[in-house]
Amino acid sequence: MTRQSPEDLREIVGRLPTTRDEDWRYTDLSRARDITSRWLEAGAKTVAADIDEEIERITGSIDATWFVIANGELRLPGATSGISAERLDDVPAAANALAELNSALLVDGLRVRIDGAPDKPVGLLFIDGAADAATSQAHVEIEFAAGASGDVVEYHTSQGAQDHYANTIVAISVGDNANAAHLRIQSRDLRHVQTTHTTVNTGRDARFTSASFDLGGGLVRNDIVIGISNPGAEISFDGLYLAGEGQHIDNHTRVDHRVGPATSRQEYRGILNGRCRCVWNGKAIVHKGADGTDADQANHNLLLSEKAEIDAKPELEIYTDDVKCSHGTTVGQLDETSLFYLRTRGLDRQHAKQVLTHAFAAGLVSRVPIESAKSIVSELVKTRLREIIQSDEDFS
Amino acid sequence: MLEIKNLKSRIGDSEILRGLSLSVNAGEVHAIMGPNGSGKSTLAQVVAGHEDYEVTGGSVTFKGQDLLQLEPEERARNGIFLGFQYPVEIPGVNNAYLLKAALNAKRKHQGIDEIDAFEFLKLAKEKMAMLGMDPKFLNRGVNEGFSGGEKKRNEILQMAMLEPELAILDETDSGLDIDALKAVAQGVNSLRGPDRAIILVTHYQRLLDYIEPDFVHVLSQGQIIKSGDKMLAHELEEKGYDWVREAANG
Ligand SMILES: Nc1ncnc2c1ncn2[C@@H]1O[C@H](COP(=O)(O)OP(=O)(O)OP(=O)(O)O)[C@@H](O)[C@H]1O
Ligand SMILES: [Mg+2]
Repeated sequence: MTRQSPEDLREIVGRLPTTRDEDWRYTDLSRARDITSRWLEAGAKTVAADIDEEIERITGSIDATWFVIANGELRLPGATSGISAERLDDVPAAANALAELNSALLVDGLRVRIDGAPDKPVGLLFIDGAADAATSQAHVEIEFAAGASGDVVEYHTSQGAQDHYANTIVAISVGDNANAAHLRIQSRDLRHVQTTHTTVNTGRDARFTSASFDLGGGLVRNDIVIGISNPGAEISFDGLYLAGEGQHIDNHTRVDHRVGPATSRQEYRGILNGRCRCVWNGKAIVHKGADGTDADQANHNLLLSEKAEIDAKPELEIYTDDVKCSHGTTVGQLDETSLFYLRTRGLDRQHAKQVLTHAFAAGLVSRVPIESAKSIVSELVKTRLREIIQSDEDFS
Repeated sequence: MLEIKNLKSRIGDSEILRGLSLSVNAGEVHAIMGPNGSGKSTLAQVVAGHEDYEVTGGSVTFKGQDLLQLEPEERARNGIFLGFQYPVEIPGVNNAYLLKAALNAKRKHQGIDEIDAFEFLKLAKEKMAMLGMDPKFLNRGVNEGFSGGEKKRNEILQMAMLEPELAILDETDSGLDIDALKAVAQGVNSLRGPDRAIILVTHYQRLLDYIEPDFVHVLSQGQIIKSGDKMLAHELEEKGYDWVREAANG
């Protein structure tokens, strides 16, 4: 199934980023390399674990036209309306080793085109479950036709053996005057590794509104790269990451304002407890001539444990004059006065913490741009918060 | 009901309560007055269980139980309510959610089932009507953007919902307009009963016109230096604190 020789594949694996690369300073992909090498040596065969029940459960929880990519293999939905879909053979030339790995090992790519205003969201379920160590690839292109208005839900999850690495590429293009709502939920097994590279390109007067929730995963690296090459784009993306003991979640965002006027705003929030590490690196580049750019980025973190670590870094590069840019990052702890206030009302410490952490995340949940998925997201966030707070040995 | 004996407490290096004694029986209303910084709020916070205040001596019992051993939430569930001098704003936490969670925490402690949504709403609306509060406040963040007076009313709403055995109201009257003061007084008076006690911390006689206290105490430099009946409040209003302090020192 692979198009390249074992030597070539080994060579690509050898070139995956290391912590010596500036962009990967905090995120060590050794485990991804190790899992992939072992999987390749064992013949690059994935013995699927039983994931059908989980597929049923998830696709049943959000009403959408679901495309399921299970262990890298595509299952097309029965009926689609307002959507056209095809398997993708011509993956664009890879720009880096992760993309090379993706195209070299890709089983099924997918291209989805949204026309008009489909009555249901497009659902993309990336699910992995293998009996032994395995690596999987996914590559999806989503095109919103000019004037289209639609929703996309990405759901990433995994189970099975302890060693798994998923490498996913998602390319979204939003046509002129199109309106794209995007939701991404990631709740992988807490031992698993994931790298995701998402690109978004917008047409004239296009809108892209996104919310992303990282609730699981042992080692997670998300890159989102947004390119504005046509005037009038309105871009808003949020991200919430909840990290408990042992987790590492790295969000790198980049917005290229190549023309103006256009607005981009992002708000990432993190809640961390136990020995864990999160990274937020938000880059906004306002290129020469991108007059009328309005770029705003915010990152707020709540550290519930002394052992939790956050590396938050906004990076603004501005090469034109007529711009409005702002950024703010905060790292804080739960407000003791609020905690005490709630406790004097009879809520125990755990419950009070849950309430306050939930309040910290609530704004992002309420902004989920897909109404029909809001309650599910809210439940998932609550459940995960409860988990990370319970495993708490209190430092306050 | 509440027995405070020779209570000493400090925060950081400063000793704030310096041997304070107070006895409150069921059915009584006590007013505590005293100059700024004398330790009134500290007393309230210590009784509620604030961990920043270190208790260095003395004892506090509530219904015969050593209160100082209990977590703040246990004290609350056992029937103590503190109306804060500065109610805390908690954006993102729905006011109705907190009321319900507080009520259910107490009910659970008492072995009663959780209140159902309909019953809760009915109760909340009833209490809000009594306090002249718009039901819209249920769906706002806890004290979020509330005016000073609205926050105080919201404290009284929580109290009215929880029906504590001992309510300590720390300057709930400050910042209230006349109508709000009457509404709050009505809320407090409706709670009065042979099984309950109320401690009012206040600077003004005005509140005591509406809620008649059985006892009035003067707190100064961490001690109660004079106690009397409601006439003492009138006297303080007229003459200030100096004469009490002089009498106590002399
Ligand atoms: N966190 C703290 N750190 C240091 N000093 C404190 C702290 N909290 C209270 N104090 C001090 O303790 C003393 C008593 O304060 P408290 O708030 O109990 O006074 P009060 O009688 O309620 O005054 P007011 O009438 O102004 O409300 C004050 O001198 C105050 O500055
Ligand atoms: Mg005070």
